[in-house]
Amino acid sequence: MEQLKVVGKSELRVDAKDKVSGKAIYPADIYMENMVYGYTVRSTMPHAEIAVDKKAAEAYPGVLAVFTAEDVTGLNHHGVVFKDHEVFCSKKVRRIGEPIAFVVAETMTAAKAAAKLVNVEYKELPAVFDPIEAMKEDAPKIHGDSNILYHYKLRKGSMDEAFSKCAVVVESTYETSMVDHAFLQPEAGVAYVEEDGTITLVVATQYPHYDREEVAEALGLPHDRIKILTAAVGGAFGGREDVTVQIHLTLAAMKLNRPIKTIYTREESFEAHSKRHPMKMKYKTGALADGTLYAMEAEIVGDSGAHASWALNVLRKAGVHATGPYTIPNVKVDSYAVYTNNPFTGAMRGFGAGQVPMAYEQQIDEIAKRLNMSPIEIRLKNCFKVGSETATGQVLEESVPLTETILKAAEAMNFEAKDQSSSRKKKGKGIASIFYGTGYGNGFPDVSNARAELKADGRIYVYAGATEVGQGAKTALSQIAAEAVGVQLDAIVFINEDTSKTPDSGTAAASRQTYNTGNGIKIACEQLRLEMLELAKEVLKLNTTVGLRINNGIVEVKSLPGRNISLEALYAEAAKRGKNLKIDRTFVAHSVRMDDETGQGAPYWPYTFAAFGVEVEVDTDTGKVDVLNAVCAQDVGKAVNPMLIEGQIEGGFAMGMSWTLYEDLGLQQGKIKNNNFSNYIIPTSLDMPEIKNIIVEAPESTAPFGAKGIGEPVMIPAMPAILNAINDAVGIRITKLPASPQEIVRLLKEKQA
Amino acid sequence: MHVEALKEKISFKLNGKEIEVEADPSMRLIDFLREVLGLTGTKEGCGEGECGACTVIIDGSTANSCLVLTSQIKGKELYTIEGLQKGEELHPIQQAFIDAGAVQCGFCTPGMVLSAKVLLDKQPEPAEGDIKRAISGNLCRCTGYKKIETAIKMASDYMKKDGAE
Repeated sequence: MEQLKVVGKSELRVDAKDKVSGKAIYPADIYMENMVYGYTVRSTMPHAEIAVDKKAAEAYPGVLAVFTAEDVTGLNHHGVVFKDHEVFCSKKVRRIGEPIAFVVAETMTAAKAAAKLVNVEYKELPAVFDPIEAMKEDAPKIHGDSNILYHYKLRKGSMDEAFSKCAVVVESTYETSMVDHAFLQPEAGVAYVEEDGTITLVVATQYPHYDREEVAEALGLPHDRIKILTAAVGGAFGGREDVTVQIHLTLAAMKLNRPIKTIYTREESFEAHSKRHPMKMKYKTGALADGTLYAMEAEIVGDSGAHASWALNVLRKAGVHATGPYTIPNVKVDSYAVYTNNPFTGAMRGFGAGQVPMAYEQQIDEIAKRLNMSPIEIRLKNCFKVGSETATGQVLEESVPLTETILKAAEAMNFEAKDQSSSRKKKGKGIASIFYGTGYGNGFPDVSNARAELKADGRIYVYAGATEVGQGAKTALSQIAAEAVGVQLDAIVFINEDTSKTPDSGTAAASRQTYNTGNGIKIACEQLRLEMLELAKEVLKLNTTVGLRINNGIVEVKSLPGRNISLEALYAEAAKRGKNLKIDRTFVAHSVRMDDETGQGAPYWPYTFAAFGVEVEVDTDTGKVDVLNAVCAQDVGKAVNPMLIEGQIEGGFAMGMSWTLYEDLGLQQGKIKNNNFSNYIIPTSLDMPEIKNIIVEAPESTAPFGAKGIGEPVMIPAMPAILNAINDAVGIRITKLPASPQEIVRLLKEKQA
Repeated sequence: MHVEALKEKISFKLNGKEIEVEADPSMRLIDFLREVLGLTGTKEGCGEGECGACTVIIDGSTANSCLVLTSQIKGKELYTIEGLQKGEELHPIQQAFIDAGAVQCGFCTPGMVLSAKVLLDKQPEPAEGDIKRAISGNLCRCTGYKKIETAIKMASDYMKKDGAE
């Protein structure tokens, strides 16, 4: 195999120059002539029947329109799986923060003032905020007859007597918290009508093509009348998958025929987008005397809040990943998604696979302790290796470097060595290993379309609807394109911002863009290369394409470099022959739907593995936990761009640490109390530990140049590793997130008593 | 948001140039920069001085422009991200952010770069702790800060070399 020239190098980000110079355009940065402003009126009650009177608001000076449910021109709904969001609430509100009206005025000041005059009469309904309560038959119903919107069942081996054969069984319940993505750029957008009647919507989104479908259906418009331009996206992490501003803006632009803009405040952003599913997890794990994991039973209840969003997929992913990356012959898992009147939950980095390690990683450590084994030893004994079978019966045929990640993390942090602790501050070390299945999963068509085209300037234009959300998609996918065509990175022009030009490449989520769209781009570019060389052969009057290469924008005969044609000239030759050097290709990831009763199937591919180790210091007086060091060993398949991967790992660790120790929405009766950065705490530079990155490569044969996605797996091990380190330091087990100082002090007192 | 008020003439130095503009003195500085002067490189992430995305430099110190009123910049020297580069040539701090991989979504980047500039102007060779403290008022959700810290160290080296030439 020829050596890779572009893939594998820490190429500088293609979007960085605009971002460091302040020139990158985020949606809020767009100002247009004659522009008007919109402001959203939202519900203040978690569950109520409503009657809306907008007359006073409409009469306010400067107000152009007040849009409510009656003004929606198509179907008044949206939603990524179930259409259970209303564009504007018509009769009932199901959570605090649901949109009721969109007030449009000449200035934002006027829009906000008039919004206060939209009179919403609430007739309060009984509400439910605890998903366990919501599962009961007599609980208030959020939608339809039952609040249970999904139940995933996983059955492997037999549970009869499985635990009685175990030498040690640990059992506990765990509770993860509901948290916010807290991307730095609050939602914003601009919509306007073009001369030909096309309505253009500029937003920061993760999936422009799906947004277009949502807008089209809600407004009763054909797809081709809507164009979505993806502006620079100020972070996403799953929080920009469900629509927020999109339909409201498009409706207003269409009705008023004036450019319209909206910008959410931070407080509104907290109310507007999804959250991470909090999960209540009842776990029981048993092992034989030699440390072999033998049985696991888990019941997982995820709070979906008032809308389904991705709840089915998240709870399915939680269920499939419930065992952790370990071979366990007897498994019974039930996971449920349940409606409540809480803020709705949806996609967030980790997507269900991120919650369950709180349980399985603490239980495996607990088992090791009782069997007098080291946490490293028990993981190495049970972890997935090439040929292992997951609990769903899927055989991991290749690219399973979990053992290597565990060994490398343990070695780099000198895991067995114990540091001196003072009497008050105790140090401890913890490790966690995880797996993460890429993609939509469960047999759903996971499709990425891509186009590659040689243009007159001799450069390769790659079109894909894969959004750059900060993760580096534009750079990494350009590298894959450059490698596949055989040109330098600067010969690639990557276009992903405009739904009228780009094919649908699926969502920038599920850690799927590198693998899925990377594959689509690779096969399109490889075919383009073949056709380019074929034409060069003809023009250069050769008998074969063998021996041709592309070198610095020129196709030449390797052994006779004088015999050549530039890519510009090649384009001209193609044009002369009426030939387009334009290739469209589609990649569909493989995924086999699971059985409804047993959960057996091959839901995701590929799986990515990681093991992180951390050292913490716990102040036993105040309960404060400081993470001192972190070692992150991450399987990547093949590193497309090591520097981008390191950036993902460090950011992923920060997000995982933040979830574990700091973040708290202060949720009370469905109301988010901590809705800004003065009380919703995320880490600053001063909170971060030293981080050592270890990139582990084990190329995956179905992946583009072997590369797997890592956006989510890089955050997952942080939480359980910190929890295990806290246990190592002070002997307490965290069963409820966050591991706040108060919670630590409470548990320390409980332990002493 | 803002209620229209009487405008007055405000003169100050913006990105190295003396300017005088008619402005509403009670407008937030961030709105004045973005909406009146069209300098959209200054970002708003929280509107209450917690995230640092709207950082600007006023008389050599960082300030959250969402907490400053336009009247407060009279006679002052103000720098925004747009004032750092010379034509197409990036400031060494900007170049270092690119070279170190310190940019992801980019929304915190202008504020981070300006906080770094204030640090390096005062302390050309900062220690690690100085760097962490200098950017501790700027939140970033993407990077975990590591590559930003590396970039600032790198920028210190670039600026030393530039100075030596």
